[in-house]
Amino acid sequence: MLVPISWLKDYIEIKLPLKDLMWRLTEIGLTSEKLEKINGEEVLDIEVTANRPDWMSILGVAYEIAAIQGDKVKEPQIKKLAKSKKTFEIKVKNNFQAIERWSAIIISGIEIKPSPEWLQKRILSVGLRPINNVVDITNFVMFEMGMPMHAFDYDEIKGHEMTFMLSQGGEEFTSVDELPYKLPKDAIIIKDKERIIDLAGIKGGLNSGIKANTKNILLHSTINNPVLIRRTSIALGLRSDASAIYERGPDKGGTIKAIKRATNLILETAGGEVASDLIDLKQKEFKPYPLDLNLKRLNEVLGVEIKKEKVIKILSSLNLNPKAKGEKITCIIPTKRSDLKIEEDLIEEVARIYGYNNFPLTLPEGKVKEEKIAYFKDDKIEKRLREIMIASGYSETMNYSLISEKIIKDSLSDPEKHIKIKNPVSLDYQYLRSSLIPSLILAAKLNTDKTVKLFEIDKVFPDEKYKVSAIGKGIEFREFKGAIDLILEKLGIENYETIFEVENQIFHPAKSGTIKVKESNIGYFGEINPQVRENFAVKEILWAFELDLEALKNSSKIRTFFPVSSYPPQIEDLTFVFPPKTKIGEVIESIRKTSDLIRNVELKDIYQDAFTFRITYQSNKKTLNDAEIASLREKIIEEIKKKYAGSVK
Amino acid sequence: MNEDIINLKNEAFAQINTVKSIDELEEIRIAYLGRNGKLTNLIKKIKDLPPEKRSQTGLLINETKKNIENLLNDKRQNLIKSLTEKREWFDLTLPGTKPEMGHKHPLKEVLEEVKDIFKYLGYQVAEGPEIESDYYNFEALNIPKDHPARDTQMTFYLENGKILRTQTSAMQVRVMEKTKPPFRVLVPGRNFRFEQVDASHGFEFWQVEGFAVDKNIRFTDLLGTISFVLKSLFGKETKLRFATTNFPFVEPGVDTYLQCTICHGKGCAFCKNTGWSEIMPAGMIHPDVLKKGKIDPKKWQGFAFAIGLSRIVNLRYGINDLRILTTPDLRILSQF
Repeated sequence: MLVPISWLKDYIEIKLPLKDLMWRLTEIGLTSEKLEKINGEEVLDIEVTANRPDWMSILGVAYEIAAIQGDKVKEPQIKKLAKSKKTFEIKVKNNFQAIERWSAIIISGIEIKPSPEWLQKRILSVGLRPINNVVDITNFVMFEMGMPMHAFDYDEIKGHEMTFMLSQGGEEFTSVDELPYKLPKDAIIIKDKERIIDLAGIKGGLNSGIKANTKNILLHSTINNPVLIRRTSIALGLRSDASAIYERGPDKGGTIKAIKRATNLILETAGGEVASDLIDLKQKEFKPYPLDLNLKRLNEVLGVEIKKEKVIKILSSLNLNPKAKGEKITCIIPTKRSDLKIEEDLIEEVARIYGYNNFPLTLPEGKVKEEKIAYFKDDKIEKRLREIMIASGYSETMNYSLISEKIIKDSLSDPEKHIKIKNPVSLDYQYLRSSLIPSLILAAKLNTDKTVKLFEIDKVFPDEKYKVSAIGKGIEFREFKGAIDLILEKLGIENYETIFEVENQIFHPAKSGTIKVKESNIGYFGEINPQVRENFAVKEILWAFELDLEALKNSSKIRTFFPVSSYPPQIEDLTFVFPPKTKIGEVIESIRKTSDLIRNVELKDIYQDAFTFRITYQSNKKTLNDAEIASLREKIIEEIKKKYAGSVK
Repeated sequence: MNEDIINLKNEAFAQINTVKSIDELEEIRIAYLGRNGKLTNLIKKIKDLPPEKRSQTGLLINETKKNIENLLNDKRQNLIKSLTEKREWFDLTLPGTKPEMGHKHPLKEVLEEVKDIFKYLGYQVAEGPEIESDYYNFEALNIPKDHPARDTQMTFYLENGKILRTQTSAMQVRVMEKTKPPFRVLVPGRNFRFEQVDASHGFEFWQVEGFAVDKNIRFTDLLGTISFVLKSLFGKETKLRFATTNFPFVEPGVDTYLQCTICHGKGCAFCKNTGWSEIMPAGMIHPDVLKKGKIDPKKWQGFAFAIGLSRIVNLRYGINDLRILTTPDLRILSQF
C-alpha cells in the first residue's frame, strides 16, 4: 500500500520525525520499511497484513497515526446530496451470494475532461496514471477510504439493466484497459441486457467504461464475495488495487459514505446532477457491534498490570467506543474493524498501542513436563553418527529433497516408485528422493579434490525414514569400510551379518552388500555401479553406504565395561592361506570367539592368498605362559582349518 | 672384597660423571643397584664372608651404595637443569599437521545450539511429517482455503491429495491433540514452498517451531523467551525490537527484529538497508487453534514462535546467498 506523505497530511498532522513514525507504524502492525520517491513525492510503502482491509487506505493509516499521537483525524467533509429531480432508471437482478451489498447512484449531465491539478497530483503520487476526472475520482476515493468503486457509462448499460451472476467459464471479456480475458468459472460478473459489462471487484469492462463523450454515469460501490474474487484474480493472474482490497474484505458499512464522497467530488469537478436515489441493495444491516474485554483477563494474558484508565484511553484512540462496567469493558466495533471478533483481538489492540517494546521480559513459570510429548524425537543417535562421521574425516552436506526424473533414472531407479510433485517449480525438482546417495554422487562429482569424503543425514521418501549416507572418492575399500565398522562398533552393534546382495541397483552387483542384524536390514554399502558412474559422468570409483537410523538405534546396545587387565598381553602374528572366496570378516570373528583369552584380532596384512592376523592374548588373572599361548594358538589353527580350510603359512 | 667394593665405586663414579642423558643414567643405576646389579650382587656375597668381617664389609657396602645413589641423584638434577638452561632455539611458528577430520554443516551446528538452548528452558524436541495434510498445515491454523495468507505460502501438491508442509506450525495441532498440557515443544524441520530459487528464496528451507501451553503463560513470557534465545545465540549485546503482525493462528501476533549483525544497524545489502532483520515471528496461540487441538482455551493459554534457521546461520556467518547452504562444495563446507 502506497501512502504519499503529503496526502496523509490532509487528514493528520505528523508530529513525529518520519523515521520514528515509520518505526512506530511498524511496531503497531503497519510494516513501514520503505520510503520511496514517486513522481517527486515522498511515499511510504506499507505492507498490509491480510486481516486489515482498513489499512488499504490513506485515511486508515491516518487513524493509526492519530492513535499513536493521541490526536483526532481531520475527516473529509461530505456534503449532503441534493434530492434528485430526475429519475434515471436502472433495473437490477441481484445475487447476494456474489454481491452482498450494492450501493449506487446515477449522475447525469457531466462533462468528461482531465482532472484538476490537485487530483492529478494525488493520482500520480500513488503511481497511477491520471485518466479523466470521473475515473480519477473513483481511484482517489478508493485510496482515500479503502472502498473500491466503479463508474459506468450509464448510456452503455444496455436496457438499463444489470444482472449480477457467476460466470460459466470460457466467457470473453475485455477490460477497460483493453486487455482480453477468457473468464474462469465462478467469476462475479455483471451483465446488461446483452453483454458482460463488469468483472466485479477486479476490472470494469471496456464496453461500458467512461469515454470522452460520456454524459451520464452510474457509480457503484459493492461488497463482493472475497473468496470468489480471490479465486478469479488468481486464475486470471490479474491482481488489481481493488482485488487486493476485496480479498481482505472492505468495510461493509462503508459503501454509502464512499458513494457520497465520490458524488460530491464528481459534481465539483465534472458538473452534472444527481439523477437517481442513492440505491442500496443488501440482505441485512451492517452495523457496529459490541465486543467485551475483561480487564482481569487482559492483564493475565499480557502479564502486566495496565490500568483501566489507560486501557480505556487506548481503545478510545482507536475509535472502539469503550464503556467500562467494573472489570468488563464493552467496545462498540465499527464495521470497518470487522477483524475484531474475539476478546483476544481486543487484547492485541491494547498491547500494540501500549507498545510491545514497553513490556517487561519474563520466562514461563510453570513446571516442566516429565512425560514424553507426542511426536517426541530422540536425536541421540543422529548426534552420535554425526560425531563419528566427522571424526572419520567425512564432511556433512545438506542437499535438496526434491530431485529430477533424470537423476532417478541415472541412478537405475524407477521414477514410478517415487512421490511426484503435481506442480514442481522446475523439472529439476519434481520428485522426492528415496535415497541420499544420488545427491552424494553429484556432490562427489562437484568436488574436484583427489580425495572426497562426504555424508548426509536426512529423511528419504515415501516413508520419511532417516538415513545416514556417505560417499568416498579416491579412497580404498578398507578405508571406506572403516567408517562403517566404527559406526557399528561405537553403537555397540554386534552379531551383524553381511549378505552379498543389494536390492538397490545403484550399487555394483558384485561389490555390494546388505548389513543385517537378525531379520532387520541396517543398510547397504558397496561400490557405485559403473553404469551409474557412467550416467553421472564420474570417472573415479565411488564407495557409498546408506544405513537406516531407526534400525541402527534398535540394534544398538550400551556396551558393558570390560575391566582393564593388569597383566601384560602377549601379541603375535599368524599368517594363513585360504582358498578363494573366503570371508575374512567371518574368519576374524571365529578367531576372536575361540577363547575368552583372545582379546583382539586384527587383519595386519594381505599378500596374495595369505592373510596375516595380529592376535592379542591376555588374561585378567595372570600373565599367560608360553605353554598356555601355544595351546590357544593350536586351537585357532584347528578351528581355521576345520571351518575355512585355511592353513598356517 | 673391600678392594672390589672400592674399585666398583670408582668405576661407577667414572661412568656417572661422563653420562649425557637421563636414560643412560637409569641404565647405570640398574647396572649397579638393580636386582642383578654389580653392587647388589656383592651384597648377596656378604653371607659367604667369615662372620667377623661381615659387619665391616657391610658398612662399607652401605656407604658405597649411598655414595652412588647420591651421585646419581645429583647428576640427575644437573641433567634436568641443563635441559632447560641451554635455551636452544625452538620455532613455535612451525605449522602443525592437522588431523584429517570432517566438517559439520553450519546449519546443523546452529540447530544443535538452538536445541540445547531450548532444552535448557525445558522444551522437548518433536518431529512430524513433511508430507502433510492441508488440514494440519492450514485449516487447523485458521487458514481456510482461499485465505489471503496462503499467498505467502505457495504450496506443492502431491498426487495423493497431500501437500508438502509449508510451515513447521503444522505440528501445533498434531502435538496438542495427543499431549496433555502443560508442555513446551520444539519442532525443527524442513518446509517446502513453491518459490523460484534465488539468493534469498528457496523451495526448501529450515524452520524451528516452538510452542508452549500452560495455565498462566503470558505475553511477557513470549517476549522474554524470544529475547533469551536470541541473546543466547547472538550475544548479550544483541538489540531486538518487537512489532505487531498478523498470522491467523496467533493473537496477539508478534514479529521480532534483530539488529543486523553484519552492519550493526547502519544498513547494508544484507538487511536491505533497514538495519534490522526480521527473524522470529511469534504470538499467543489463537483460541481456535487450541480448540482444534482439543485444549480448552478458557483453562489454558500458550505462545508459539518460529525461527528461520537458514537466516540465523546466514546472519551468524555473514552468508549473503541462501544457496550456499545447499551447495556440497568442500571449499565451502571446510570453512565450518
